[in-house]
Amino acid sequence: MNEAQRRVVVTGVGAISPLGDSPAAIHEALCEGRSGIRPIELFKTDGLPTREAGEIAWKPRDYLGNANLRPVDRTGQLVIVAAQLALEASGWTAELRGEHEVGLVLGTMFGSVHTISAFDLRALKAGPRYAKPLDFANTVINAATGQTAIWHDLRGINSTITGGATAGLQALAYAVEMIRNGRAEVLLAGGGEELCFESFCGFSRTGMLCAPQDGTSECPVPFDARRNGFRLGEGSALLVLEEAESARRRGATILAEIRGHGSAYDCSRGSDPQPATAAVERAIRQALDDAGTAADAVDAVSTAANGSVRGDRHEALGIGAVFGERSGRLPVTAVKSMLGEALGASGAFQTVAMLESMRSGVLPGIRGLEALEDGIPLALAAPQNREAELRCGLVNALGHDGNACALVVERRGEEEV
Amino acid sequence: MPQSIVVTGIGMVTPVGSGRREVWENLLAGESGIRPVESFDTSRYNVHLGAEIRDFRAAEHFEKLDPDSVGRASQLAIAAARQAVTDAGLTAETVAAERIGVAMGTTSGEPQEVEHFDDHLVAGELDRVGAEFISLYPCHVIAHHIASELGFAGLNIMIPAACAAGNYAIGYAFDALRAGRADVMLAGGADSFSRITYTGFACVGAIAPERCQPFDRNRKGMIPGEGAAVLVVERYEDAVARGARIYAEVAGYGLSCDAHHMTAAHPEGDGAARAMLEALRHGHVEPREISYISAHGTGTPTNDSLETKAVRRVFGERASSIPISSVKSMIGHTMGAASAIEGVVCTLAVAEDRVPPTINFEEPDPECDLDCVPNQSRELPVEVAMSNAYAFGGNNASVIFRKCAA
Repeated sequence: MNEAQRRVVVTGVGAISPLGDSPAAIHEALCEGRSGIRPIELFKTDGLPTREAGEIAWKPRDYLGNANLRPVDRTGQLVIVAAQLALEASGWTAELRGEHEVGLVLGTMFGSVHTISAFDLRALKAGPRYAKPLDFANTVINAATGQTAIWHDLRGINSTITGGATAGLQALAYAVEMIRNGRAEVLLAGGGEELCFESFCGFSRTGMLCAPQDGTSECPVPFDARRNGFRLGEGSALLVLEEAESARRRGATILAEIRGHGSAYDCSRGSDPQPATAAVERAIRQALDDAGTAADAVDAVSTAANGSVRGDRHEALGIGAVFGERSGRLPVTAVKSMLGEALGASGAFQTVAMLESMRSGVLPGIRGLEALEDGIPLALAAPQNREAELRCGLVNALGHDGNACALVVERRGEEEV
Repeated sequence: MPQSIVVTGIGMVTPVGSGRREVWENLLAGESGIRPVESFDTSRYNVHLGAEIRDFRAAEHFEKLDPDSVGRASQLAIAAARQAVTDAGLTAETVAAERIGVAMGTTSGEPQEVEHFDDHLVAGELDRVGAEFISLYPCHVIAHHIASELGFAGLNIMIPAACAAGNYAIGYAFDALRAGRADVMLAGGADSFSRITYTGFACVGAIAPERCQPFDRNRKGMIPGEGAAVLVVERYEDAVARGARIYAEVAGYGLSCDAHHMTAAHPEGDGAARAMLEALRHGHVEPREISYISAHGTGTPTNDSLETKAVRRVFGERASSIPISSVKSMIGHTMGAASAIEGVVCTLAVAEDRVPPTINFEEPDPECDLDCVPNQSRELPVEVAMSNAYAFGGNNASVIFRKCAA
């Protein structure tokens, strides 16, 4: 890592999730072992093999008041709300945003495939002349990012990142680089993904979603020997990232520093354990190298594990390859056991949860975990919470189809930057 | 001293042909790829023209993956990527697979897969709804498929910045190389023709009924198209060390966001001007050094006059004498591929001192009083060229290419 390079700190966070709409509420729920997975109400699940997901029960108007929501679809509303919460938390008022360029980098897997499908269906049924222009504006994958910039007057860098389920961490990494390169001083970065029939139906057909078995109702259960898949979730989480010096100068509260990031691709797209595990290992090593942090300095890992039969194992072995025999003494968590797999929003949710763990000294347990699969070297993966002094955290993201990413975050007080 | 980033390979599949040589010669010759739409029935629309790629045989470009296991945009992207890699002389021995990354852009990803989803739904074939959707549809699979087909295990990212996406991807690749996160990057964009995209532009009245006439007084709109283009970019020292042919240097890039309206640009061309200025700043280029501009130039009444305003703001009086042409007049608007193809245009303009025309130009528009290289390509010294792209969501991006002093 280049010692002269600009450093990136977190000065505020906003999140809206199945477990609550603040980092503290989410952390409390995770530590209580509360699941956000419940029967889906958003759309009909007739004919589909599973019927539960991490759906958010919310009223956008609770956050957005009487503003005209018609031009913005559900994905856009989730991101707008997360942005609002993050801007409030970080002190970036409307007035300040008028004077400075605040940007937005959003990770998502689907944007809003629901809007795209609805637009197409209407044209198919009523004829193309009845297609809706307002909906067309939201059929581009960068729609939510654009809508949020308009809503909150974010005139800085505006980018949408899709990379699969790793998109949220990739968005954070992209934002870090923009700040390091001097292109931006302050960026909202994170992810947003909505639950919808189209993506849920698609995942249902892959056999990757879990269903309770053997009379148990527990699922998903990351790393567990009896795991048989994941549940989908949804939501949006955005972190306010700032160049460290300017954050200090404006008297911002500094929550943490993003120290490094790494990314690698598995050409077998998740099907071959060797390249899949190697991609996880490379991503972690790159992140540690970028952070200038030794593996020994990592206090805890927020894994991407979501209950996937293959993915959880590939990730665990990749962690094992980096940390060696220390893997058995490394505290780990898997928040998707309760939040579900929120795809593009996941990496951001995990980072938010890690920051809360650092603040509180508590790493949530892995809900429902009973027995680790043979060969998984993460002996401290457990259903109980773990109390620990957490200064340096590693956050992993893993797509089921190729990408592996990692992020190193460190707790920083203002005086340490 | 930051390292120079250079283009060493080019691949593209477009409505006027496939491969660097064929496409470039056709663009210079003013060939049009715009014809009546064939891939779906347009009888219920009041417009009927599109720039589709005809006779694309995907299997010719695949060695590893089954072409039917990927969507059309991915097929086009793989074809362009393979061409670019061959053009760059990259082999398994040249660079380690883990050090080669892929950054692509798109507007819609694989919208035909949503069409298939909906077609099954409407037909009541519920057990076929969503089959293969996850492996075919989400747009990140385009970059994934390229990397899996070619065996590249480094960075892998998709930046769906709509009609400016190719430029965002080139910018990302530039930064990744400078930061040492990769030794070679494939950067480009891809989009396939689709009824969803066509319906969208038709319903907002954006599609021209007969021709695409950027900057012309009687211009009536854009023509949706499809395509893919990929550039191989690497650090100058590495390119020289392996004896690669260098087309041009990527001097710098600029991004901006209007934060104004989802589909209409800022009325003063504010975001567009900022992106150009940021590219000039980043590339350490003076406005007077720009010899050619590849315009976003969609042919809509609004874009072309706003783009003219923005160019005037940046280049002042000199604006009227900088050749600025739009290949969209010939290949239509290829969405996420557009700025990748236009990046290739600027690369070749700089390498060969030739610039393509804006065809269908008949009557000047006082609001677009620029030299749009009407109808005939031109030979002129091109030291530095700029490629502009503006997108829904207010995403604007400009990339600057410069002759490589080698």
